[in-house]
Amino acid sequence: MTPTDLVDANLLRTMIVVATPLLVAALGELVLERAGILNLAIEGMVTLGAAAAFVVLFAMAGLTGGVALSLLSAATAATVVGLVLAYLCVGLRANQITVGLGLLIFSLGAASLLYRAVVGVTTSPPRVPTLTPEAVPGLAEIPYLGTVLFRHNLFVYAALLLVVPVWWLLFRTPLGLRIRATGENPKSADSLGLPVQRIRYGAVLAGSALIGLAGAFFPLVLTGGWSESTVGGRGWLALMLVIFGRWRPWQVVAGALLFAYVDAVGFVFAATSRLIPVQFLQMLPYVLAIAVLVQVYQRAQAPAALAKPYDREARY
Amino acid sequence: MTELDASGALTPRGDADVEAASGADGALGAPPGAARRQTVWADVRIYLGAVVVALVVNAVLLLAIGADPLVAYRQILSSSLGSVAALAQTLNRMTPLLLGSAAVAFAMRAGYVNLGVDGQIYGGAILATGTAFALYGLPAAVVLPAVLVAAILGGGTVALLPAVLRARRGVNELFTTVMLNFVAFYAADYLSTGPWTDPVAGEAISVPIGAEARLPGFLTGGGHIGILLALPLVVAMAWWLRRTRAGFEFRAVGGNPRAAQFGGVSLVATGVVALVVSGLVAGLAGGIEVTGVHRRLILGLTPNFGYMAVLIAVLARRSPLGAIPAAFGFAVLIVGSDSLQRSVGLPASAVFLFQAVVVLAVLYFEVRRGGVLAAVRGRVGR
Repeated sequence: MTPTDLVDANLLRTMIVVATPLLVAALGELVLERAGILNLAIEGMVTLGAAAAFVVLFAMAGLTGGVALSLLSAATAATVVGLVLAYLCVGLRANQITVGLGLLIFSLGAASLLYRAVVGVTTSPPRVPTLTPEAVPGLAEIPYLGTVLFRHNLFVYAALLLVVPVWWLLFRTPLGLRIRATGENPKSADSLGLPVQRIRYGAVLAGSALIGLAGAFFPLVLTGGWSESTVGGRGWLALMLVIFGRWRPWQVVAGALLFAYVDAVGFVFAATSRLIPVQFLQMLPYVLAIAVLVQVYQRAQAPAALAKPYDREARY
Repeated sequence: MTELDASGALTPRGDADVEAASGADGALGAPPGAARRQTVWADVRIYLGAVVVALVVNAVLLLAIGADPLVAYRQILSSSLGSVAALAQTLNRMTPLLLGSAAVAFAMRAGYVNLGVDGQIYGGAILATGTAFALYGLPAAVVLPAVLVAAILGGGTVALLPAVLRARRGVNELFTTVMLNFVAFYAADYLSTGPWTDPVAGEAISVPIGAEARLPGFLTGGGHIGILLALPLVVAMAWWLRRTRAGFEFRAVGGNPRAAQFGGVSLVATGVVALVVSGLVAGLAGGIEVTGVHRRLILGLTPNFGYMAVLIAVLARRSPLGAIPAAFGFAVLIVGSDSLQRSVGLPASAVFLFQAVVVLAVLYFEVRRGGVLAAVRGRVGR
């Protein structure tokens, strides 16, 4: 490993691919948390989304529309879990930490069962072809940058650009202001006539759909398969990214790229490095997350009502 | 916008009144006489209702993969409780779940959430295995206690960083403990595929520990005495929480940190004690798994025991004693599902789904009842 390897074009290209599920999941979680709901089930929802996408790709092998349907099923599966989360935490005001962990375990189990029900018991796990990268005509020929930026699948670009509509929605529209108000001070929002419960329900469902979509990227562009360890903690990393980005979409993008870079270093050097054991490279994103938490945490500005149930009849 | 400070928005605190109202905490704040009988009856209905809901949901899922639910349920019970050997297996499974959930429940009583039991189990297992290798060939009377103490310290070490970061920098322990799960997992992966690997096995498994570092057997069929170590420890934790002055102060922090602080209790010290003791107890579970079950360091040491431990602690309402029946019930499910895995090909982690449905149903029924209670409390004024 030499210093030039660390800015190798293929490494940076891998970084962008690895960043997509992290980014999409983190943006989904951002929408939820801006409305004041903490979703600790995110790792499970991503795993379930990945399983739902994979079984559709597997069952529809080669048929047209398989990719679109797999994205739809991933979003739907996670949204169903999100609906339970919303009902228990928004509707019934249950403790968001315990409900989140319950749904985390639920989703991990549901993902395995779904995979088993469709794929059955096999000796070697089946694979589906991952989406092929397409070179952007002209731009892909630029040395270095062309490899890093312009040889990706359409869905990778779509994921990277997703930050624009999420940012626009949250910070440039009246609805976004209402979502944020609900997460900051639901009492005031309520007294101004905003339907706090409905806004929170909507934010949870929309955020969950994005988190499920993030799962679809694992079989679609990263692994081509599904196992219980496919997601392997990247859902939790997405949760960290929201804190890292201080609940702001553009900072979340920067964080996703940083974590993906560290993750990609692990991927790329796993095969070649004799000096450092693979496992220490695989540890890096989580060590980085702890280091980042220590730096960011004290000045972090969380939505004021995050993880607090809103009861309009309670006295404060 | 608010600062995510040490009294963080993300930690559930101040639910001591809920605890008192539910009557789960025995002598403290339990309503007297008829009212108390009523709440106990309501509790029984909640748990029974949750089990019924879980049985129905699971029956639908079993039908979906083409298995007969009644046959499956009979098999779960017979494979986990049907013989002495089966019971021994169930108690083996119960041990890490009980220690883990008691650890989580303990920290929760002071208002801290330890999601890092998995990492602490790996930490304990790593130090236990290393100690067993270092003391290879010495008499068992020396080795086994040393190995278990090393396991306890290993778990405490993994919990130390979140405790210090929480105390010094106000970093929420929820996130640091989860991240350390992955760090500890990869450390165990490194050791079991690298320096300690068993070259014959060809997977993430270390060479076995010596016979002198093995936990004595209990009952038959591979049972070990881990449960006889865990039960007294859990009872001692419950006693400390309930009957000592330090335990009272500890719970006071969980109930109302500001009031406890005005009463002279150190929040920083309490937080460190909560998380480190939690880690020490979870570390013992790792040591017991190594010395009693696997006899080596392996990668599949804890299939999400840590998150299950949190669910059990919630079911037990943060009571270490309540974790005993809850952990036993979860162990029955796990052993039963393992046998279903062999017979109908149910995936091993499908048991998560069943456990989660039980917990979510209990939460649902409890919140539905809590809604009424909360309204009453609101009227009295709080």
